[in-house]
Amino acid sequence: MGPSRVLHLMNPIRHEFITSCLSEGTSQPQTSSPTNTNKNNNLHYLDVGCGGGIFAESLARTIPSSSSSNSNHPQTPTQAASITAIDPTTTLIKIARDHARTDPKVDAHLRSGRFVYKNCTLEDIVAQQKQGEPETTPGKYDVVTLFEVLEHIDTNATSSPLSFLTNCLRVLRPGGWLIGSTISRSLPSFLVNQVIAEAPWPIGVVPRGTHEWRKFVNPGELEGWVQEGLMRSSDGAAERAGSEALQGMRWKCAGVMYFPGLGWRLVDGSEDWGNYFWAVRKGV
Amino acid sequence: MRPIPRSALRPYVCPSCRSSRTLGRRRFASQSDQVPDIYDVVCVGGGPAGLGLLAALRASPVTSNLRVALIETQDLQKARSWKLDSHQFSNRVSSLTPASVSFLQRIGAWEHLDTDRTLPYQEMQVWDGETDSRISFDWSMETSPFEDLRTVATMTENSNLVQALLARIAESGDENISIFSNTTVSSIENGADLIEGPDLSAWPVLSLAPTGLAPSSATPPRIAARLLVGADGINSPVRRFADIQTDGWDYNRHGIVATLSLADLETPTFPVGTRTAYQRFLPSLGGPIALLPLPGNHATLVWSTTVENAAYLKSLPPKAFIAMVNAAFRLSMPDLKYMMRMEQPATTSASETPHEDELSWRVQHTEFSRVPPMVTGVQEGSVASFPLRFRHASTYISPRVALVGDAAHVIHPLAGQGLNLGLGDVASLSKSIEYSVNHGMDVGDLLSLEHYTADRWATNAKIGGACDVLHKLYNVPGQNPVAWARSFGLDVIDRLPFVKAFLMRNAEG
Repeated sequence: MGPSRVLHLMNPIRHEFITSCLSEGTSQPQTSSPTNTNKNNNLHYLDVGCGGGIFAESLARTIPSSSSSNSNHPQTPTQAASITAIDPTTTLIKIARDHARTDPKVDAHLRSGRFVYKNCTLEDIVAQQKQGEPETTPGKYDVVTLFEVLEHIDTNATSSPLSFLTNCLRVLRPGGWLIGSTISRSLPSFLVNQVIAEAPWPIGVVPRGTHEWRKFVNPGELEGWVQEGLMRSSDGAAERAGSEALQGMRWKCAGVMYFPGLGWRLVDGSEDWGNYFWAVRKGV
Repeated sequence: MRPIPRSALRPYVCPSCRSSRTLGRRRFASQSDQVPDIYDVVCVGGGPAGLGLLAALRASPVTSNLRVALIETQDLQKARSWKLDSHQFSNRVSSLTPASVSFLQRIGAWEHLDTDRTLPYQEMQVWDGETDSRISFDWSMETSPFEDLRTVATMTENSNLVQALLARIAESGDENISIFSNTTVSSIENGADLIEGPDLSAWPVLSLAPTGLAPSSATPPRIAARLLVGADGINSPVRRFADIQTDGWDYNRHGIVATLSLADLETPTFPVGTRTAYQRFLPSLGGPIALLPLPGNHATLVWSTTVENAAYLKSLPPKAFIAMVNAAFRLSMPDLKYMMRMEQPATTSASETPHEDELSWRVQHTEFSRVPPMVTGVQEGSVASFPLRFRHASTYISPRVALVGDAAHVIHPLAGQGLNLGLGDVASLSKSIEYSVNHGMDVGDLLSLEHYTADRWATNAKIGGACDVLHKLYNVPGQNPVAWARSFGLDVIDRLPFVKAFLMRNAEG
């Protein structure tokens, strides 16, 4: 059993957390009305740091296929209509593309363009969006996902978690969700991720240097960053946005724990201990 | 395990290791590069388990959009139009536990069942032919005196159940479903990596062939399965393809089945209308005899006995057969052993056969209580026998393969659990398919399927094992410590309501 098994087991919880966020509203007005007649999937996803595509491929699988007439396909829990998955590592994108070919449904989505793997950075996406548009143009994605990415981001002159989160929020539509998961910086997470998981074989499951404990992010810090990011992302060329950028914002956080033999479970209050999911909704 | 590319075993190989392997080579490619017809779930075998799975998938809004296929060798049209007179019953009857009934109700199949032909029973009498110690199962300790007794199980003809499931599937429409009746699977192999299409090298691809008269143009030659379900019985070709080992033995016993008619009860039941199932263990004859009630004064017989005894019983004329069944519920072991070896006269001129004479003489000198009413008739052509076996697959899953029902396990019929275990399998498998679809998982992936095997394997092993132990315990003839111990156990259980209630809840499923 490799490290990917534990990650694969976390994947259903990602879907459930996304579903719980979407139940509070989305950036697509018609789906939030109670007398909803349009039951189709209409959310466009951006998966940042998709890696080997564990999450991206599973989300692509929930997109209704073109052959089944979209109108009578019931809405799926994640409401996905398309997904763009990006990762700067070329080998990972290649692995992800190769794996996607082993599922004809996912393969068809890749061919039709409803599912796209891009070997690029988040900054490339932001730059693409800006081309020929005023700087304050809202993004085009309804949901941006950031699973197990934040704890790998360096802090230096050109990059920081704050600037990264700001870019994520830039490509997000008003009312959309930025959803992620990461690990908090605590004694238990140090023992689990640094001492046990990176121990030599047969105890350890991930290569040495996979995680750097000092890069782990606590929920409180993260909430501060996304608020700052929301304000910065709505900054225009001329004026600076203030706290009005935070109006209508919604912050969610839920801790998860892994129980060998059982899998991942949501555990209230455990977000300060180790792995946790977090989400922020941009004000409409 | 069958040879498949490592990519199918994803949970056990990390991405960095996988990238160094040669993927997608066409080592297992079939002779044809033509794109197969792709289905999400392909079920081989249209018995109660296979049809139950299909009906469950069609009933759930989450899984009703999956593209499903069913392959059955027999003519399903015959099963759809099955009809018998109201006083005639098929000899293949199962006792459905309340758990099975509620599953059938949940998937909307129960309302298609001809319930005039089913019968719930509320009490079960089980006793030891050697020592006469007895246990009775009913829910009397859990129901108040003011309500009717709860159902122990519901007797249902398998044909009736199959017909109801087919009707339920038909009701769900014909979109995204293909039913290949009169069709056999001529081969199963791994698919090919299609250059201009998906990589199907870890997907099972089935070649189909019509049996007999079916028009060959209507059958597509090859179909690929995201998940291939083996509901194809004890010699499952799907299990062979997946290279799943199976453990087991033959009991060297045959089960005799027959549809019987009974005399009226001498004493009325309380509460009125309570129906009872009877089972008597006959250690000297190789197994128990059971009489299970059917509507009206009918009953179905299941008599597990040695191969020689089974052949002897089947060779008897109806009157002698009836006498043997009545004797088996009443007489002592030595009497029965004697009657089992009686010569059958060449001419049956006398009004009473020797077996009947023997029974009426011996029954006067035997004491018994709470036996079933006398059997008075046997439905013509309903006496049949089948070999009793025990089989259990080492696992129920392999990448893109799952086994259900008899393909996964075959058990001794003494507790009437075989079909119920099969329905339990498909209830569990359809639930895990639903979970996988809702969470973007690949329904054929081991990660999706491991819930199913974890849920069912131990349960089925426990029930199959319990039946096996009972069979062995009740095959020790004569008065000896084994007989005393099992009788002591039975008496103790009968006197401890909470132990009995625990056992019954377990049997209820």
